[in-house]
Amino acid sequence: MREKIIIGLAVFAGALLAWNMNTIFTQLPDELNQGAIYRIIYFHVPANILGMTGFGLGMLLSIGYLVTKDLRYDALAASVTEVSLVFASIGLATGSIWARIIWGVWWAWDYRLTSWLVCWLIFGGYLMLRRAIDEPNQRARFAAVVSILGSVNAYISYKSIEWWTTQHPQPVLSIRNGGGMAAGMEAPIWWNVLALACFSAILVMVRMRQEAVANEIDTLRRMAHAQ
Amino acid sequence: MNRNVQYMLLGLGAAWLIMFIYVVLITLRERKLRKELDRVRRMVEK
Repeated sequence: MREKIIIGLAVFAGALLAWNMNTIFTQLPDELNQGAIYRIIYFHVPANILGMTGFGLGMLLSIGYLVTKDLRYDALAASVTEVSLVFASIGLATGSIWARIIWGVWWAWDYRLTSWLVCWLIFGGYLMLRRAIDEPNQRARFAAVVSILGSVNAYISYKSIEWWTTQHPQPVLSIRNGGGMAAGMEAPIWWNVLALACFSAILVMVRMRQEAVANEIDTLRRMAHAQ
Repeated sequence: MNRNVQYMLLGLGAAWLIMFIYVVLITLRERKLRKELDRVRRMVEK
């Protein structure tokens, strides 16, 4: 059943992405001031949306673990956080390349970029911490605390472009009252969010299966040592 | 091709490269886990 869901999601996401890429590259005009480079927004924004929501979801699952002590919450939190870190990396890389053309520099130490980089480092540390601790409950407890701290930072990063004056552009999406894009230019962003969310779900399902196999290995090892 | 288009393609390439590297890494991890599971199963059976 899981295999069928994965294949179904992959086909749907692939078709949606192909259709949307066609719209982005063949139907949308260049932006008046930025030219062709503005199209990076169609990957930069969806990747960062998925990164931020994933970190937030990971935090809720971590709280779920702290309340229930059920390791399944921890496994799901680890899977979601790892995949979200991949999307956050895409967001950072694409943003930096866009900045090179528009700002003339690869990086600026403004509130948004710095807080998002700190967030990326915190969740990188989260994954390293998980590898460093063998005892499952201790690992889950420490990781949950880091996840909560990291997610608070992710929220600060999300709001930073409203709270402070930043080099990073102010909100442009209509749901944040940005209104800086024409409707025809904004829609493909949301289609890409949907397509990448499907890919994200596939990756989380694969990671969850790996967590289950790792747990089985741990259990068998304990049995072998007990014999 | 102007510099603007080159950097747009570089951005898209970077996005797909990061995703591709991650997919390769979890595929390798999957293989390693399966091998380890088989090894531990055989160890328990003995």
